Amino acid sequence: MTASALGTARAVPVLATKNPLTKRSGKKAVLDFSVPAIEVADLTQRFGSVLAVDRLSLSVPPGMFYGIVGPNGAGKTTTLTAVCGLREPTSGTIKVAGHDLRTDREAALAQLGVMMDGLSLPERLTATEVLRYSAGLRGLDDGWQARAGDLLEILRLDAVPRTLIVEYSTGMRKKINLALALLHRPRVLVLDEPFEAIDPVSAHSIEQVLKQYVDAGGTVVLSSHIMDFVERNCRRVAVVAGGRVLVEGPVEEVAAGSTLNERFIELVGADPVRPLEWLR
Amino acid sequence: MTGTLVALKLRLLRNGPHNERAFSLVTGLVLAALVIAGSTLAPRVIHEGWIAVALTVWGGMWVFGPLAQPRHDPSVISLEWLRGYPLRSWRLARALSWTELLGVGPLITLVSLSSLVVLAAPGGPAAMAIAVGAVVAQLYLLIWAGKTVAALAAWLLQTRAGVTMAATQTAVMLALSFAGWVPIAAWLLPRLGEGDTALVTPTLGHLPAPVIDVLAALPTGWGYGAALAARDGAGFGAAMLPLAALLAAGALLQLGWIALTARALRRPSRRAAPRRPAIPERALPLPFTTPQVSAVVSRELATWLRDPARGVELRSAWLTPLLMALIIALTGWSWALPLAGPAAAVFGAMVAINTYALDGTALWQLLTTPGALRADVRGRMAAWALLFGVPSILLAAALWAATGSPLGAAAVGGAIAAAATACAVAPLLALLMPAVGTDARDRIYPGQQAGDPTGGQMTIFPVVLLAAVLPGVIGAVSGGSGWVTALSAILLSGAVLYATPVLTVRRLHQHGAGLLDAMASRDAAVVRSSAHKTER
Repeated sequence: MTASALGTARAVPVLATKNPLTKRSGKKAVLDFSVPAIEVADLTQRFGSVLAVDRLSLSVPPGMFYGIVGPNGAGKTTTLTAVCGLREPTSGTIKVAGHDLRTDREAALAQLGVMMDGLSLPERLTATEVLRYSAGLRGLDDGWQARAGDLLEILRLDAVPRTLIVEYSTGMRKKINLALALLHRPRVLVLDEPFEAIDPVSAHSIEQVLKQYVDAGGTVVLSSHIMDFVERNCRRVAVVAGGRVLVEGPVEEVAAGSTLNERFIELVGADPVRPLEWLR
Repeated sequence: MTGTLVALKLRLLRNGPHNERAFSLVTGLVLAALVIAGSTLAPRVIHEGWIAVALTVWGGMWVFGPLAQPRHDPSVISLEWLRGYPLRSWRLARALSWTELLGVGPLITLVSLSSLVVLAAPGGPAAMAIAVGAVVAQLYLLIWAGKTVAALAAWLLQTRAGVTMAATQTAVMLALSFAGWVPIAAWLLPRLGEGDTALVTPTLGHLPAPVIDVLAALPTGWGYGAALAARDGAGFGAAMLPLAALLAAGALLQLGWIALTARALRRPSRRAAPRRPAIPERALPLPFTTPQVSAVVSRELATWLRDPARGVELRSAWLTPLLMALIIALTGWSWALPLAGPAAAVFGAMVAINTYALDGTALWQLLTTPGALRADVRGRMAAWALLFGVPSILLAAALWAATGSPLGAAAVGGAIAAAATACAVAPLLALLMPAVGTDARDRIYPGQQAGDPTGGQMTIFPVVLLAAVLPGVIGAVSGGSGWVTALSAILLSGAVLYATPVLTVRRLHQHGAGLLDAMASRDAAVVRSSAHKTER
């Protein structure tokens, strides 16, 4: 059943002139397309005896959707967590827009908007309050209010002004997380499973906002199991398994004439499922 | 089904965690041994009425214990695990009820109650047999009284009124624990405020007979009454009637528990309607702070007022010193009233000891925002000062003005030093000793496991108490000068407020990611492991 069939799909308004990369003066931010948005070199992450990420290297060019796909436990979230500075890697380097996360952490973090899956927010605030809090925490200038208004309207969160975050559905949580990630107009968005467990209407809203962001020159690095989304929107994709990159490149090249889903299963390998007699 | 659930509980108990249970077991067995030792000395060395007192206190622990810790969910088998099975909730609850008999509490209570057999021993084997029956019946009643009160408290905590009630009960328990001795002390030392330390010596050997009669008439004393009746050969009815009453009351309470549990199994937990802003609130303009710190203060104030777990703590921390003041005001020790001010700071510190764990994985936002960690620490401190620090100083000053107490200056100085210490140390201890529970996004009402911060509370209590006492002691040593007291309070406050936040921010930088991992996995051991690795 499509969103239209449900009668709830609405056109997502354009983010007017206040796109995420527009500075206060109204001019576009100067983007240096020669510097990778994210550069991960030889990233290794150990948890005791478990090797979650094994000398993984990635270079994400700016101004595009970049997908990281892989089976559960492949190391996607671990990699993105390290990219966001939420985990000190065992070894390897991470650069965000040219800033080394280890030696120039504050500058690197300033380039990032982060949306992590399954983590809390200041749960006892409303959407407006949490955006005001985030703007205050980052010391943003007055322009944040107009951006917050736009984001709340586009993501349809303005309809529940008195609802606390703790009462939000999964879809609403994803939306407010996205609004928080975009509010300070970062150069790079890192999104962990942005479309996991949400309804098609919420997914549509989020997708449209992300497209506007990338059209304005932003970079989106996301992990996802939704191959359809990755195939439709990502220019490049990395298939990760066992903590390593199996293949990386433009989506068409990685798919190699098949659908991305078929190619993914071919690369990662599907477990053989024997017939269960008792189900017959 | 009962056998399966009993086996499950035994397996869960065997698999741990063991620290808290081992502590309770050892402490409980020591106390139970004291009760038994007392009963062997009765009635020759001590009056046997003291055994009735001990068993009443023991029974009181069963009934009031769950009320003193309304946040703590002691169930080992979670109802969530059982909700999906296609079984009638009443049948499931009835089977579950027998598993509640297993645990440290019933075991140490059984040992303690065996003092009844010792008491009845002089009456011969028949009296001892009746005493064994009294032990079993009394244990049955106490277990089900405690379990039913806990289930009732859990049910009440799903409403906002219940949250207030739980906070009031906690405050009453704390006030009685911390100031309950004052009426006795005021009775023993009635003129202490005037510097007269003449002690009124009471006679402690014998308890007044009416007191023993009242204790024996309470349900906690029915087993005691039966054992003594059997020993003294008071007749079959006098010994058996209390046992029948214990079993009947216990069965009724068990039925009540089954009904409450069956209800909880049928419907998932309701959430207490959170306090909502009437209109989207405006940012709080705070003087002398950066916008970053102001933002954190606004967040903290909203969270203290709306988070159900913090709400219980906030209410109890505000109420406890007021109730303590009330208890003191009812005695002749009005000169001690201003001390409620520093006590308020101590209670404020104890309830703010676990804020990072209560906020849970929301920490990721601070870790990924440049400069946010320093602002967060300062903002938490400022919010604490507004909610607890300033009120505790004002309380001390107001009670000093009202009573003209000679301890007024020391109390105000103590309140200032205690408030500054609590304000600075609470966030640091919240990082060093996080009691990780259900993550903030899944925590809807205070009965859910929000982490047990007893360790942190027991750590900050002496620290803040010492800070509260120090200015008064320094003032007294220097000849009772109010200026010395005030100066030492200000210097101590300045030093703590200057040095401690630096350590807290450094700790957050070094171990924030480890703490986030711990909260995501609900395992505080992850923090310790991360700290260990960093220190190596």
